[in-house]
Formats: sequence, structure tokens, C-alpha cells
Amino acid sequence: MIRRFTQKMKKSNQNFKEETVKALNEKEEQPKELSIDLKQNEEVIHAIYDNSFDIVIRPFSASDGTKGLMIYIDGLCNTEEINENVLTPLMKDAELTTNNIDTIIEQHLTISEATKVHTFNELIEEVSSGHPIILFDGNATGCSLSVEQFEMRSVDEPEAEQVVRGPRDGFIEPLIVNTALLRLRIKSPRLKIKTMKIGIQSRTNVAIAYIEEVADSTLIEEAENRLKRIEVDAVLESGNIEEMIEDHPYSPFPQILNTERTDVASSYLLEGHVVILVDGSPMALVAPTTFYSLMQSAEDYYQRFLISTTIRWLRYLFLVIALTLPSLYVAALTYHHEMVPTALMISIATGREQIPFPAMVEAFLMEVIFEVLREAGLRLPKQIGPAVSIVGGLIIGEAAVTAGIVSAPMVIVVAVTGVSSFAIPRYNAGISIRMLRFPLLFLAGMLGLLGIMVGLIGIIVHLSSIRSFGVPYLAPMAPANFSDMKDVMMRVPKWAQNTRPRLTGESNKNRQSPQQKPSPERGGES
Amino acid sequence: MIEKGRISAMQMAILMYPAIIATGVLIVPSLTAENAGRDLWISPIIGSSIGFLTVYLAYKLHQYYPGQTVIQYSEEILGKPLGKAIGFLFLFLYLHLNGVIVREYAEFVIGVFLLNTPMQVIYGTIIIVCAFAVRGGLEVVARTALIFVPVVTFLIFVLIVLLINDLDPTNMLPVFEKGVTPALKGSIAPQAWFSEFFVMSFLLPYLVDQENGLKWGMTTAIFVMVTLSMTNLVALFLFGDFVDSILYPVMSAARYVSVAEFFEHLESVVMALWVAGAFVKICVFYYALSLGTAQWLKLSEYKAVVLPFGFLIIIFARWSGDNLADLKDFLGTPAPWYLLTFQVALPILLIIIAFIKKRRA
Repeated sequence: MIRRFTQKMKKSNQNFKEETVKALNEKEEQPKELSIDLKQNEEVIHAIYDNSFDIVIRPFSASDGTKGLMIYIDGLCNTEEINENVLTPLMKDAELTTNNIDTIIEQHLTISEATKVHTFNELIEEVSSGHPIILFDGNATGCSLSVEQFEMRSVDEPEAEQVVRGPRDGFIEPLIVNTALLRLRIKSPRLKIKTMKIGIQSRTNVAIAYIEEVADSTLIEEAENRLKRIEVDAVLESGNIEEMIEDHPYSPFPQILNTERTDVASSYLLEGHVVILVDGSPMALVAPTTFYSLMQSAEDYYQRFLISTTIRWLRYLFLVIALTLPSLYVAALTYHHEMVPTALMISIATGREQIPFPAMVEAFLMEVIFEVLREAGLRLPKQIGPAVSIVGGLIIGEAAVTAGIVSAPMVIVVAVTGVSSFAIPRYNAGISIRMLRFPLLFLAGMLGLLGIMVGLIGIIVHLSSIRSFGVPYLAPMAPANFSDMKDVMMRVPKWAQNTRPRLTGESNKNRQSPQQKPSPERGGES
Repeated sequence: MIEKGRISAMQMAILMYPAIIATGVLIVPSLTAENAGRDLWISPIIGSSIGFLTVYLAYKLHQYYPGQTVIQYSEEILGKPLGKAIGFLFLFLYLHLNGVIVREYAEFVIGVFLLNTPMQVIYGTIIIVCAFAVRGGLEVVARTALIFVPVVTFLIFVLIVLLINDLDPTNMLPVFEKGVTPALKGSIAPQAWFSEFFVMSFLLPYLVDQENGLKWGMTTAIFVMVTLSMTNLVALFLFGDFVDSILYPVMSAARYVSVAEFFEHLESVVMALWVAGAFVKICVFYYALSLGTAQWLKLSEYKAVVLPFGFLIIIFARWSGDNLADLKDFLGTPAPWYLLTFQVALPILLIIIAFIKKRRA
């Protein structure tokens, strides 16, 4: 019965899908091939681009007298270059013949890249990417010119992933700049970057980058297949792609890492991961991702290893605090008084004397207020931000304590928890942890420490049951791989990072020559 | 094959360790002390012989019928009707045993911490998370164990280290005051726990490195022996002759911890982390039960039976005894014979028949 129902649902889904795709494609039902007759081509182009004021359709005559037509989008191309290197030679050169596009490209157009177009679909694609098209009467082949130029911000430091020591360049919106930034870091021709277009309306360029013979070929295939399955009208940000290709859509944990940093993306490429870049988004996606990679920051690898290892352990501690501190506080106050040292218990009890709420309600209240402050602070214009944090943080906190609505220790607990959650280097992982705090709070209120434990067991069971592109999320801790723990339990020095992680770099295991440990004795040795 | 996941022999060892000691460290000291008195630390060492035997039996049977669990090969050994009957007995044993384990867990939590909480809530919460894990498959259970077991083991050792100041080794003297008999008598309860190693036969078919199964199984048995013996010793050093009158010696020991007058009364922390160990134990038996049932009924997957069994386990937990004294009485007297019959005598019988059959063929 249920199976029949789901089958029916699937069938109607299928129909619906076909219909939408058809409807979306309908506008593109144009005569496919370009025609020899320029007049006819012009009419079709006018029909396609009616009511589009930014489309420039410019007729001209070539020096041999043939009629020509140039189509481009205003603002997407460098008009100076068109004037100097395209229109001037075409209209002035004496020995020009328009019946062969190849000779025109070879002999007359003084621009670096030009390709031929044969169909209207190609023409539309080229024009939308900022490539002007020239057509000649009597020739069914057009020519697309790579003279695109559009406004973009400069490559600057990513705001969400700042480091004290390390490179300052981050990805920006245009895909072509981002792939170039990757190439700058990894110059080997083994770095492959494939692209495909996703989005029926947006036709967004999506690039998959990987290093050949380091990344597993099945992983690349899997990534490509998942991307090919996407049938949406538009891809506006890499988040759109992430949601369509992740393994467990209902999991609260991010299974694909996103980064704005080129060095981070490159380091993942070198470990055999696949990086997905989306045109128009400065956020690169890295797959597969494990839980522990969400706990790593780029700087860990640039500071000296002892410091990095210590900081990494501090981060694990803060992760636990961010997740459990309010619930531990509630559990200790409600069920396990004996756990708290007597002197501390007395001072907490004095502080809580006039508080009307049970500890759980108090904690819940403060946590929600904190989340609101965080969210509000994020969206506010820069000028108002500090005002809100002062009003919210100081006045509400202080006033609430003096008014006897919340106790001072609770404010401290909430503050420590909030700050700890920001010590998690990945913003989206921090959010997941902060959200999971609330169910734990309820469990602590109902069952004390046992409740927290049951909740934590639940979270860990979930974490061990999910995978990201075939890699267990808790790898390399569970399933355990002692060699890979060198980058989880600690950050081993560069000279000891001899092998790539087993689950992503198995095919090309050794990443550097062994025994490179420096020492004074080795100083002058060649 | 119903279970598609594969684990390594080491992961199996990490699953089996808490599957024996989780309830073992809690109840075994007082059960052994009743008979063995001051020699209670020798009893687990004697009892471990059963552990080694069971591991060997499980491994040997698995060698005769690779890729099969006890539910499957008992049919091959004894023929369909008799084999099914044996299979049913095993499943019933594990259902009952699971109920008893859950009851031990709940009695402990309620007796020591959440005095006013209804027992059903305690049953329910743990069964829900266990069902969640068991439905995820063997790999998920094993990975969860990998995260928890180091923490739980570490905790036991830290606890012992923190107690060093209060330990009095002279409590163990004189050794063998009344001969070996008390220690032998006391070893009956640990033997019951050691016989639980037979649940390994549900994990052995899914090992990546089959050849290491025996090695890691034996290693686990040694670790369990050391742990049980050590906790017994610590309890003895700490409480002396009173040890048999204390219900949960390890828990009571945690109350003694006092470091810098700040870290005091760590029993809640001990309980919380112990819950993780109990979780792994329940998961292993719950998994064996669900997988075995699916194999017994020739289902294509076992996920469908997990939740219904959760309810059954809760009911069996309720039926395990009227109160804690009743439960303890069961664990001390009939349980060893009951468990040894099923998990040692029956496999010996199976292995003899299998051996004869192989010879003839």
C-alpha cells in the first residue's frame, strides 16, 4: 500500500519535473543553426532580445562591402578594445574577405581569444558571458570575441576566515579569477579544472578542481555525477549547490566545507579532495569533509606545531564547553548539588535566591537572548552594531541581574558558552553546535547528567552514521586510523607530514621525502 | 548478506571490552566478595578461563562456517528443525539478557542518582539511543564505541590514580586464608560475564581481517580480566572486609576522591561516563538480537525489527525481577548456570557435532 503510494508520488514527481524543465526551456525554442542570410539572423536576435535595453546590436559594413552585425551586452565588454582591435581592422583593412571566419580570426582580429559559433544557443551563451559576436552576411558562422570586462572587487582578505600569519588573498566572485588564484598556488599541470553549466535560467559556470593522481577517480566521478543531477532554475551561490549534493540533508552538521581562502582550498586539493567553485560566489566547496576538518583553521599550519597543537586542543575543549556548559550548569544545580564544591555552591545559591525561574528556564531565556543579540549584531549596519552590543550585552545583562530575573553566574555561563562557540573556526559548524545546545539543555533539565549523556550519545551516534562523499564523518578517529590522527589529535610538524590521509589520498600516498627533520648537525649538509 | 558493513578485528575488540565490563565493574565486585571474601581479586583471573574458552569456541565455530552467525550455522549443524529451535533459544537468551542488562543499568541510575524518576523513562531514553545506533548498522555501533571506550577506560584508570592515597594494600592479606575454595566459588559470577564473549559470534563474520579475530578476542579477554581484577583489588584496598556489603564498590570509591578540596564527589561524572559504556554494551546485545532475528526469519534486512525489540527489551527489563535484591539474587545464583549452559555448553555441543560431521564428509 505504502509502496504503491510512493510509486505514484514518484511518477507524478517525474511528470512534474519534465513539465517544469520543458516550461523553462520553452523560451529557447529558436531555430538552431545560424542562417546565411544576415537579415534573418538579425530578426531572430531582435526577437530573442526584445525589451532588453542593455543589448547592443550594431550593424556595420566590412571593408569589402559586406554587411556585418555585432551583438554584445553593454557593460560586460571592453568597448575600447572592440573599437581598436575589432572594428578598426574589419572596417579599414584592405585585403579582408568575409566568407572565411578562420582567416579573419587569424589575420585581422588583434585580440587574444576568438572562437567560432554556429548556433543561436551558442550565440546566446557567448553574448551572456560578455563575449561580443560578429556575424557577416553570407556566412553561417559567427565569431565570438573574448574581450569581456566587468566590474569586480579586488582580491582581498576573507572576512570570515582571518589569520594573523598566512596569505591574505581570498576568492572573489568571478570564477575565472578564482581558478587563476588556484593555479597561482598549484602550478603543476596535474591540477585539473573541469566546468559545467548548472541552472536553466542562470546558466552558472560551476568548476570542479582536483589534482590528477592524487584525488581518487571514483570521488571525482561521484562529484561530477552529483553536480549533473542538479536541475534547478538558478544557482546564485555555492550554498545552493551544497544543499543539492550533500549526503544527509536532514543532518544539522555541514558535510561540505566552504572556504574563501585560496590556501585552504589548495591544501585540500593536495590531500586529494575535490574543490567546487561556483561563478558568482567567493565560497569554494570542499568535499569530502570530516568533522575534524571543521575544527581546523588555516593558521594551524603556519604557526609552529607545538602552538598549533595546543590551540587545537583548546578548540576541542571550547567545542565541548559550547555544547554542554549551560546544560552541565543546569544539571549540577538541579540534580547534582554534591558535584559543586560547597563554597561555590553557597555563592551560586545566594545569587539565585530571588530568581523566580527554575535553572533550566533561566538558562533557556539567557541563551535565546544571546542568540538574538548575535543574529541582530550580524545584520545591523556597521555604525549601529556597537550600540546594540552595548545595550544588549551590558545593560540587559547587568540590569537583568540587578532586577533579580537572572543570576550572575548564569550570565557568566552564557557568556562563556557564547564566546567558546566562536572559537570554532568554521562559522557554520559553530551554528550547528549552538543549536544542539538547546535540546541538551532540555534533557539536562529533565534527567540531569544522565540526560546530557543520552543527548551526547545520540549526537555521536548520528555523527558516526553520516558520511561525506563516502568518507565517514568522524574519520580518522572512528573508524580509527592512527597515521591520519597526526592531523587531528595534534598537528605534526611539516617534516613529519609524510603521507596523505588514507581516505582521500590513498592512490598517491607519499607527499614528501621522509626524514627531513632539521637539526643543527644537518646544517651545512648538502 | 544482511549486514553490509565491515569492521576491523580491533574495532571488534573495542566493542567487546565494554560489552563485558560495563556492568561487570559495577556488580561483579560485590557478587564475588560474597563468596570469595578477601580473595575476590583472584576470582576474575580464574573466571577468565571461561572467557578464553568462549572466545576460542566462537572463533572455531566461525572457522568451520565462515561468514555465518550462530543462528545460521546451528541450522547447518543440526538440521533445520533442531537448528531453528537452537536459534530460537539463543535469540530468547539475548532478549532476556538484554532485558537484564537494561534493568541493571536502570536500577543503578535510579538507585544512586535519579531517585524519583520513573524507571520507564530511564529504560526508554537508553533504548531510543541504542535503537538509533543499532539501526545505523554494525559500523555505526563500532565507531560510536571507538569514541567512547577510550574515554571510559581512561576514566577508570584516572579514578584509580586519584584514589591511591586512600588505598591500603595490607587489606588483601592474608591471601588464600581458607584455601582456594572461596576464590573458586567467587569466580562463578565473573564466569557468567566472561561467557558473554560468545556474542562475538555475531561480529566475527563481519570482520575485514578474519585472521586476527582470535588474537584480538583473546586480547580483549585479557584486558577484561585485568580490569575486573583491578577494580576488585581497588575495592578491597579501599573498603577492606566491608566490600561485600557495598552494592556498587566502584561508585562508592568515586565518592572518596578528593583532589585539592575542589574535585570532590566525582560519582556523577563517573555515572555519566559509565552510561556511555552501558550504551555500548546494550548496543552489542541489541544488535546481536536484531541481526539474529532477521537471519532466523530470513528477512532481507533487520532494521524493521529493531524498534519492536526495543519495546520487548523494556518489558523483559521489567520482568527481570521485582527489585534490586531480586535482580542481584538472579545474577548471583541462577544466572551463571543459565548463561554458561547457553554460551559455553551449547557451543561445545555444536562444535563436537560439527567436528564429527566434517570428519565424515
